[in-house]
Parts: sequence; C-alpha cells; structure tokens
Amino acid sequence: MIELTINDKKITVEEGTTILQAALENGIKMPNLCYDKRLKPYGACRLCVVEEEKSPRLLAACSSPVAPGMVVKTDTPKLRKIRQTVLELMLVHHPLDCPVCDKAGECDLQDIAYEYGKPETRFIRHRKEAPPDIRGPLIELTSNRCILCGKCVRICDEYQGRGALGLIGRGFPAVVQPAFGEILECDYCGQCIDICPTGALLSKPYKFKARAWFLEEKDTICPFCGCGCTLTLGIREGRILRSRGKEDNGVSGGNLCGRGRFGFDYIYSENRLKTPMIRRYGELVPASWDEAMSYISDSLKSISENYGPFSIGAIGSHRCTNEDNYMLQKFMRNVIGSNNIDSSAAFGYALVERAFGQKGHHIDLKSPLGKEIIFILESDLSITHPVFGINILRAKREGSKLIIADSRETKLTRHSSQWLRIRPGTGVALLNGIMKIIIDRGLFDKEKVSKVSGFSSLESVLKHYTPDKVSKITGITEEELMEATEIFAKAKSRMLSLSIGISENTKGLDTVLAASNLITLMGDSPDSLQIPAEYSNTSGLYRMGIRPDGSTGSPGNGKTISEMLYEPDTIKALYIMGEDPVVTFPNSIKINETLKTLDLLIVQDIALTETAKLAHIVLPASSWAEKEGTFMNTEGLAQRVYRVVDATGQSLPDWQIIRNLAWTMEKDMGIKTLEDISREVNPLLVSPFVSSEKRVFNPVLYTPGEESDADYPLTMVIRDVLQHSGSMSTRSKSLDLVVSEPLLEINEEDAERLGILDHTYVRVTSRQGTVYLKAKVTDTIPDGTVYVPTHFPHGRVNALTHLSHNGEIPIDIVKVEPVKI
Amino acid sequence: MQRLTIEDLKNIKEKHKATFALREGGYRAKVTVHMGTCGITVGAKDVMDALINEVKKNGLKDVTVGSAGCAGLCGREPIVTIEEIGKETIKYCDMNAEKMRKIVVAHLIEGKPVEDYALPHQKDLPFYNLQELRVLQNIWFMDPESLEEYIARDGYQAAAKALTQMTQEEIIKVVKDSGLRGRGGAGFPTGLKWEFASKVQSEVKFMLCNGDEGDPGAFMDRSVMEADPHSVIGGMIIGAKAIGAHQGYIYVRAEYPLAVKRLQIAIKQCYEAGLLGKNIFDSGFDFDLEIYQGAGAFVCGEETALMRSIEGKRGMPRPRPPFPAHKGLRDKPSVLNNVETLAQIPLIILNGAEWYKSIGTEKSTGTKVFCLAGAIKNVGLIEVPMGIPLRTIVYDIGGGMRGKKKFKAVQMGGPSGGCIPESLLGLPVTYEDIVKSGAIMGSGGMVFMDEDNCMVSVAKFFLGFTTDESCGKCVPCRVGTRILLDILTDICEGRGKEGDIETLEDLCKDIIAASLCGLGMTAPNPVLTTIRYFKDEYEAHIKDKWCVAGVCRDLCTFFIDEKLCKGCLACLRACPSKAIVGEKKKPHRIIQELCVHCRSCYDSCKFKSIKVLPAAAREASEAELLQLAGVATPTGV
Repeated sequence: MIELTINDKKITVEEGTTILQAALENGIKMPNLCYDKRLKPYGACRLCVVEEEKSPRLLAACSSPVAPGMVVKTDTPKLRKIRQTVLELMLVHHPLDCPVCDKAGECDLQDIAYEYGKPETRFIRHRKEAPPDIRGPLIELTSNRCILCGKCVRICDEYQGRGALGLIGRGFPAVVQPAFGEILECDYCGQCIDICPTGALLSKPYKFKARAWFLEEKDTICPFCGCGCTLTLGIREGRILRSRGKEDNGVSGGNLCGRGRFGFDYIYSENRLKTPMIRRYGELVPASWDEAMSYISDSLKSISENYGPFSIGAIGSHRCTNEDNYMLQKFMRNVIGSNNIDSSAAFGYALVERAFGQKGHHIDLKSPLGKEIIFILESDLSITHPVFGINILRAKREGSKLIIADSRETKLTRHSSQWLRIRPGTGVALLNGIMKIIIDRGLFDKEKVSKVSGFSSLESVLKHYTPDKVSKITGITEEELMEATEIFAKAKSRMLSLSIGISENTKGLDTVLAASNLITLMGDSPDSLQIPAEYSNTSGLYRMGIRPDGSTGSPGNGKTISEMLYEPDTIKALYIMGEDPVVTFPNSIKINETLKTLDLLIVQDIALTETAKLAHIVLPASSWAEKEGTFMNTEGLAQRVYRVVDATGQSLPDWQIIRNLAWTMEKDMGIKTLEDISREVNPLLVSPFVSSEKRVFNPVLYTPGEESDADYPLTMVIRDVLQHSGSMSTRSKSLDLVVSEPLLEINEEDAERLGILDHTYVRVTSRQGTVYLKAKVTDTIPDGTVYVPTHFPHGRVNALTHLSHNGEIPIDIVKVEPVKI
Repeated sequence: MQRLTIEDLKNIKEKHKATFALREGGYRAKVTVHMGTCGITVGAKDVMDALINEVKKNGLKDVTVGSAGCAGLCGREPIVTIEEIGKETIKYCDMNAEKMRKIVVAHLIEGKPVEDYALPHQKDLPFYNLQELRVLQNIWFMDPESLEEYIARDGYQAAAKALTQMTQEEIIKVVKDSGLRGRGGAGFPTGLKWEFASKVQSEVKFMLCNGDEGDPGAFMDRSVMEADPHSVIGGMIIGAKAIGAHQGYIYVRAEYPLAVKRLQIAIKQCYEAGLLGKNIFDSGFDFDLEIYQGAGAFVCGEETALMRSIEGKRGMPRPRPPFPAHKGLRDKPSVLNNVETLAQIPLIILNGAEWYKSIGTEKSTGTKVFCLAGAIKNVGLIEVPMGIPLRTIVYDIGGGMRGKKKFKAVQMGGPSGGCIPESLLGLPVTYEDIVKSGAIMGSGGMVFMDEDNCMVSVAKFFLGFTTDESCGKCVPCRVGTRILLDILTDICEGRGKEGDIETLEDLCKDIIAASLCGLGMTAPNPVLTTIRYFKDEYEAHIKDKWCVAGVCRDLCTFFIDEKLCKGCLACLRACPSKAIVGEKKKPHRIIQELCVHCRSCYDSCKFKSIKVLPAAAREASEAELLQLAGVATPTGV
C-alpha cells in the first residue's frame, strides 16, 4: 500500500494505482475525457494534469502511478488556467451544435466545458468540415464533433478485440475512421457509443428521438443470451427509445453487445399479437380473452376425458421468466395431471446435466481471468456469450494462453495463442487424443484420479486415440496436438469452455462427457469446465421444473420434447409457451407434420410466429419489458426483470394467462398474484444445486457424423450470428439492418468449383429438404464445409437438419448448387 | 566469409595495413571519391566513372581508387581526395567529370596538382583543423561497404573486448565514467540508461538504435549510417551485452535509402563473419539485429512512438511511466540509443573513460557532431569538442555567412530548439549552456540565418513543420501548434494585431506545460526564442506592417535608392513581372503597381541599392518614398 496526499487529504491506495484512480476512489473529482478504467492509460486529453510537489512538470494523473509521499494538488489556479486553455483548444474545432446533438445533456465535453471552461474564446478558426458518416447501420460517426480522445478506437481494439476503428492521418487533420475510410463494418456492439465523451459516435436508431433530459431511465435484464447483463433502458412517453450500459452496472460491469444495445425493439415488431386468435374455418381470427379461455378449457377437458391427461403436453420457454415457467409446469402437473413438459434445453443444456449428473452447472463469467490456460472447443463464445468473450480476451491480454480448437476463423482464433483448426464435429476425437497423450506421459493428477472410478475403462477406450489417428480425424498435425496438450497439461490453472445449444450442431453429449473426463483427469474441479447456458432464462427454466421427470409428485416420467414433436400421435394436445419450434428446432419438416396431427395446438407468444401460424388458438403474451419476474443467468444468479412499458394490446404476462386458464377450468392453483408465485419460486432460486462429489469417468468414443458423399459433398455446420439470438431477435428492425437473412458461408475454392458467386442465390439440399439461400463466399471457413445460422424464419434452414436417434443435433451433409435464372 | 575470431581481426588488420596503406613499392597514390548522399546527388558517380576510365585509359597501375563517405564539406561536393607517398594530401572540391579527367592527367601523370580546383591544405583550413574527429574518424577515409577496411581501422576490437573480457557491470561502469550523454538531444547519461535496463529481470530485452533523424537541416546520423555503419553495429553489440539483450533493431527512416542499403550490407557481412548471430567471438553471447524502416513520421523519433512503430502500430507516443527500461518494445525492457551515441561506444570501450573525458567539459564530455546548414559558408558536417564557443563554429569552422552577409541567428535543436542571436555567440557548446539561451543542444542540426531572414517567418516555418508532424494525440500539441501557426501566419500576412505576441507567449507556455511528449513540449521553443530575441521584428510586423528583411510579401515595399543604383540591369533582368524600368548605367525604378514583392530584385542587387519599406509605402509618391527610405525605422528599434 502506498500513502500519499491529495489536496491535503492523506490517502492510502494500492501500489500501481494511478493518481487519477486514487483520487476518484477517494471521492476527489478530476476532469478527464480520455480515461476509462477498462483501457490502458492514454494521456491525450491533458485535463487531468495535476501538480506534484517534487515533480518539475505537471503530471497527467491518468498515467502517473502513485509513489510514496507524493503531495498532489488537483485544483490550483495554474491547473485551472491549463484546463481552460486545453478546453479552449478542444472547442476550436468542436462545433457548438449542441441544440441538434443527441448527446447534449449527457455529454462529458459539455459538462466539463461548463465547469472548467471560460465563456469567451481567443481562437475562432478552423473547424473540420467532414460531413457525418451515416453509411453504416446503427452507428453514426460525426468526426467534426470528435476530440480524438481515442476511447472508441481503444475500446474496439484493446477491449473488444475488433479494431474496426482507427486514427487516420496525423496532427490537426487526424480523424477516427474505419480503415481506408470504408463503411464501418464491425461487431456493432455499440460500446464506442457509450464510451464517446462527445456526440461524435451516436446510435442511429436513437437519433433525434429524445433529448437526454426527457428520458426516464430504468434498469432491467437483457432478454437475449445467458449472460444476463443489465440494460439501462431510456423511455419516453411509454416507449423504449434506447438501451445502454452504465459503468459498473450489473454482471457485465456496463459492457453490452449489439443485441442488448440495439435488439430491444423486437417488442415493437409489426406482428406482435394484440388479441387472442382462434382458428375458424381454417383462418386465425381475433377473439376475446373469454372466448379463448373457454375454447381452451373446453378442448383440454374433452381431450383429457377422451384420451387421458397424458395426451396433453407443454413446452416451456427460456425466454419467459421463472414465474411464467413455474406456472406452466404447475398447470401441467396440478391442473392437467401430466408430466409431459419439456423445453428446447433438452437439445443443449440438458446434456450438461446428463454429463455431470447434477441439475445445472453454473459458470462464472469472470472465470477466464487469471487462468494460465484457456481452452475453447468448437465454440465462438464471443458470439454466443459476448460478455464472457470479453473476459476471455481480457484474460489473454493479461497473460493467459488461449488455445482455440475451431474449424472457423473467428475473433477468438485471431486472438489465440494457438489455433487448432480441427474439422467440424471432431471435438471428441481431439479431447480423447489429448487425454491419451496426457496419460501416456503421466501428466495427470494420479492421486486424485486414483479416487475416481472408471479410469481403466477410460484407458482402454483411449487406446485407439493415438496422435497419428487423432491427427487423421481432426486434420491438425501431431506436432500441433502435442504442443497444445503439453501447454494445457502443464499449466497451473486451466479453464475448458464450450457452448452448447439448439443453434449449433458440432457438439453433443459425448463432447461434454469427453470434456468432463479431461477435467477429471487433470484433477481439476468441475468449475474448470465452463459451459454457459444459452438464453436469458435457460438456467432458471430448468430449476422451475420444465422437464419431463416425475419427481414432483405425478406418476411416472412424461414425454420428452423429441417424442412430442417428432413422433406423431404421441399426444393429442400441445401447449407451446414462448417457443417457435418450426423455426428453431431441427428437422422442421417433421415438426410441421407432427403439429398438423394434433387435435389442439395452443401457442402463447408475443408475436405471430411460424409455429403460431399452425395453431388452433394463439394467445398474446406480454414481452419481457412489459412484465415483472426473474431471469436466472448462466451464473445461477436470479435477477429481477421490471415492467418498464405498458403491455401491447390485450397481451398479458404468461403466468397470468395460465392462471386465468386454470380459473376458467375451475381449478385453483392457489395462485392469484405474482407474489404468490414468488413465494413458491424463490426457494427454488436460492437453493444451491448440490454438485455430486463422486466423480466418474464416462469414456466416450468419437462417432463420426454423416460423411459427405458424392450426392451430398459438403458438411453443413450450424452457427450463431453475432447480432441474433434465436429467432426472437430477427424481429428487431435495428438488428435486421446488420444481418437480415441467413447467409450460407462457403469457402472460396468450393464456390469457384461450384460456380457460385458472392451474394447470389444457391439451392441447398440435404436428405431432409431443400432451401434457397444467399451465398457468402469467404476465406474464414475450410473447404468442404458450409456454415449457416438458423435464426431467420424465412430462411427455413431447419428444413435441412435432422435429429439423431439419441436426441442430439448432428452435422448434416448437403449439396449446394447455384440457382440459374 | 568465415566466422571471425579475435585472432582473425588482428590478422585482417595487419594484412590490410599492407594493402591499403601506401608504401614504397606498392601503390603510389590513392584517390578517394566521397560518395555520401550529398556527393552522389551532385554527381559523384559521374566523377567516379570518369576517374576509373581515365586511370584505366592511361594504364595507371600504381594508383588505387576507392570510395568513402561524406568529406564534411557538403556544400563543396563532389569532393575527391588524392593521397600520395611523401606528399601533402590534396582535396579537390566542386568536382565534375571534366575536372576529374583534367586532374588525372595533371596531378597523377604530370605530378602537378591543379591548384584552381583544390581546397587549401587541410592543416591551414580552420574548417578541418579545429575539428576533433572521433565519430567521424572513419567516414572521410573508409569504404563503407568493406568490412575488412573497417576491421583494419580497429573495427570490432571493442566489441571483442566487451564480449570476451568485460562483465556487464564493467561495460556500464566505463560508459558511465566516460560521461557520455545521449546525442539524440535530451542528453540523458547513456551509462545510466543501460544500468536501469540491465537491472530489470527479463528473459527478453531489446537493444534499439534510433536512426529516425527528422530535424530539418540535420543529417549527421544519416552520414554516420551511410559511411560507417559498422561502428553503429559495434556499439549495439556492446550495448546489448551490457543490458542483456539478444535482439536489436535499427529504426531508420525509409527516406534514407542509402543508409538502409549500407546498413543492410553491413549486417549481412556481420552475419557472414559471425559478428552477429549465435555465439559471437565464441563468447557464448548471441545477438540478432534487424533493420526496421520507418515511414517517415517525425514523431517516431520519440522513443515510445518508435517502439510502437516497430510493433507495427500507429507511431504515437504513450505516457511514461512505465519507462522503456522496464516496459519498452513489446512490453519488454528496452534501450534506445541514438546513432551517434552508439558510434561513440566502441571508442570508449577501446580507449577508456579517461581518454573520452579528456576533451569536453565536466558535464558534457567528448565530442559532438553538428550539421551546418542555411546561410553559412561552409555547409557541412563537423565534429567538435564539447565546450567550443559557438562563435568559433560560426566564424572559424563555418567561415561566416555566405556572401559576406551579417549573421543574425542560429537555430539549434531543429524545430524543438530555438534561435540563438549574435549576442549569445560566446556560449560554449554544452548541454547546460545551450539550454540557457532557450534553445536546446538537440541532435546537432544548426541552421544559420543572416540579415535577409525574417525571424517571424523562421518561427512560422518551424511551427509549420511541427504542426504537420504532430501525431494528433494530445490536445495542446495537436490544436495548440496549429493555433500558433495560424497566428504567425496572420502576422506574416498583415493580419497581426495588438496582443498577438502576448497570446503567443501565453499559449506557448500552456502547450509546454500540458503536452504529452517531447514534440509538444518543445514545439513552441522557436516561437518563444524568436520573440525573446527578435521582438522588434514581431512588433514591426504587427504595428508597422513592415517585414524589414523583405521576406513577408504582404508586409514590404521594394524601392530603389537612386543614389546607390549603378544601373547594372541585374534587377531588371531578375524581375519576373517586368516591374522595373531603367536604362544601363542609369538608376532604375520599380513600378509599384506591377511589383509582386518576390524579392528577386533585392537578392540580385550587388550594391544594396534596393530598400525594403513598410507595406503602406506602396501608396506613397516617389518623393515620399525617398524620404521614407532615408529616415524610417521600425517600431522597437
């Protein structure tokens, strides 16, 4: 600890702290425009200059570390004079167009000029004349307003690892621009907008929407991925106008990705449901709540009477709150009397449970920090869980080694210490190969392993995975494999991470098991394996009992999602809440068939989804911003979601609809209000999951997926797009400005061989079906493969996919042909 | 070439003494063409071709021909040196092919030196005999592309000594004791810098050489890199050993193609001879060296910017601490030394600290290389002992101003330095004394101004340079220098107003106080020193709208004094706008309406008959002009 004096106040701070940090920590205000605690000291704005007794020169507080016995003054006439001059110089070229600038009212430059500047200026000349750059989507760059603090450039490069902006030119004419003055093409995380101290970088969707002082700001939790970041929503006249991150706010500390920042407007999509709809004469027509409730009540009763309660099933939603999901399962179990309840987590997160034998396996978003080695398997965590990705990049910056096994070039591979470019879907072989080398060289924790059962069977399974064979399967060299294994095994601390979910098809239960084996072999705790939950409430939905097991009282296990959706005539009625299986689940053709055989399909959603279009009755639900409740993020942290705007049309929160339905059916669930649910839900949220101490090796063999053949020569990999999350985000106008259709990525060589040009339509055929997509020719993926996301309803990509016999989503093989017009 | 051992160095030296030194029975004469960039640009290659052809044609088998670096008197290039046994060495200057052929016949065949083309004997010439050659000891004599010649001149002896006989501490002690200070300008003690870096524990360290010389009018580092690249490499090997670095970079601006080429050749030779790479001199010490070509940004001469540039990033200074000795290139401990500093190192190691300190002053030891440029007679490259009075450099070595004009000021330290007036010429050249004047020692550029220079324009010129070269990172430098330039431009173009001088001074102080790096902290120096010493000129510009030197077009009226005009027609011919009328041997007259104030007449007049009057005089009648020319004096004089 170091003692120093700032403005006659004696303070003690840690070594390595800068004077500015020391001052701010101790409540001493100091103007600054280029400092941000996430970034390296830059020292450009010169507003934080201070006087130090022993120093002959003024010190820039942001970049001067404290030293014992320093006597610092932060506010003297001399410093005021310097700050005035610096501000005067900044305002020489900053246009005083505050009346038409969205930043006015919350502009750092404005505030500091107001406090430290002087009313008149000696220099009225040279303004930059560049027009605003409005070419790119979502972000607008007005370089006239830029004071070149470099924060945007640095947060993009240093923190986000993207480097989309740079300083071009030098001296007075220097400007912030994308490389070569091209259109800004980036992650569209918008972090640059939040960090800009002036109105140089602004959100386009928010442009001219409201003066800052008219906005009412309310915090809530982001509805997209499992990170659970806190969004600060700006509301005016009952409408959300923008979303931003506030420093140190929420699990992300104020960092947001593009989905959180721009995607909220999906709640204003044109096909939001405003009234219940009932199918009459083949058409869905608006109906009253009374009609709808009676219709459902009658239908369910009659089906239950005719076919028994087990002929009724339900699907819960990772988009809905814990309270909504709890109500749905309670309704199914108590009112209907059926355990036929499941969710899309069965394709993803449930696998983790199956691997670990414990309900839920929470991760720690900060776990990458301080690890000597971070190993990521076939996952683009910067896309699926952007804030987790930021921490991975930060760990790398702070000295961790980063090994990425992935077939595709991603932001993470670009920042990696070692990139193992394995063939898609060969992760199990890679992991087995690594374990084989570790065992052969005795690099594992023998003492701990001796207490784990199944080691001998692991050894015998791994016998087949010699480096030579693994090299042949994965396509990486034996040397690469050896090197990565060595670094991984010899590290003092490790993290192994992968994502798993319904929108990916290269990993399955076996991958999780193999990863878990590796962690156990190294003697690491289960925390070393970090598998983040996919969506905003995937963790919570599971705890609420959205799973077909019979533990909650009713007899026997219920039907799984695979049975309900892929095996016609398993059930007669299906209640789908907040899920769009026709778009997001594999083999949509089969699902279509199954759904059409149902006597009753109830779809309760915020919008008229593709699945809703098949329903007999559609119920309008309120969106995440229109209701109260809780989401549980991937860390197992339950966070309140607030009602920040009024409900759309006659829509109601999901839990209310279910309550009303139970009432209509003259059943009392003992629940009237949200508080009633909370009383039952809260214990479930806080009770820690018991992680089983007993660990076992579950040796797995690498089973190759379908091998490409002459008919279907290409391997199709399903991957997420950074700006989208499931199909919900595709209703966001803002996000659709960036990507609005599923582009089939194809390698340059394959494209040339097949005669496919960039951005032309292709016909893609698998054993399941055919779709037409636009091709994107790229060098970021290996030849012989194509990559495509499933988010977009109109893309119908899931018409190509299938479900394997064990309920997983395997790799598909496809044929791609150019479409001749 | 085979790997060299220390024994080999001695053998090569002996062998080449025999080959290169002229002796009875060997070559009778040695002719050296000086092929620095200065020589080559004015035709040294033609001279060389002519020489070779002529020697061949006449079958002069007892004459050897060689090339060497700049001969110092850059203003008189191409220069050719002829050495003969038992005779005075003669330097021919302002050469061309024609003269060369004549000299071969007259001097080498007939034995009659051509006095008309020759410089006076070296020992009689103050330009040469007041100099003290250390860094430049090889460059006038040695073929820069020959490793053998360098070795023959004791090359790499120092590196051998440092690697095989000295510890890190011993090397640092000698350098510290020598009192050597960084020749890049700031004058930080080199030994101390090395000591800091040597004490930091790190497997990877870097030894860097700053060859990003960018001051207008400075070319000493270029000359050293072009003419004696091996001495820089030798210095780097020693420095690397001292701090424990095994990788080095020489950062050279790409605008120095010849320096880059010669360094490349030298590095290649060193690798072939085992002087770079693994296990140098079997000492177990490894050192790899690469050249990094800068893209020519002035700010990349600043150490943190230079390191970022090598990293492939935008060359921008970053705040210190951390200092490069702890976290420099790629966040590893690094030492950056200037070319000239490094070239001194082998001499210090070989001859010892006492020898080095034997000249110079207590706090500024040894010698310093300077470039004389501008209005001085002997434009060129010189090396003088520290502590020599400025006056000696100006009047003795420099030979005074060209065209017998009056000395007005010398700008030392380039755009970061300041103007030193006549009254301060008594100052000894040391780090401490020069600072007192408001200028800085700098890297060694001296730009001379005579009475025809306008000091406001001089300040404007340097500010124009720093404004362009500011990286744009910190506000005071990026915007402040621009504002200074704007105000100076206003003053030079007649828009100066009361209070401008005070605004300039005030802003200068704030820029110095608040800037991030050395560029901004020193950029206002030219403004402050010109205001300090030539305030009357500023006032004349602002109040009288009068540029006394006749440089600022908008602030002068040219007028021919009939009493002095001889009617020689020189100005009439020089005038581009036909504004001068007159007949031979009769006084000429300027038609003010046609005059474009280009100053051609003023420069062409040998009789000082053209007077510079304030801008307002353009409207005056002939009679009034006559009167004005007699009595007008600018404000403040």
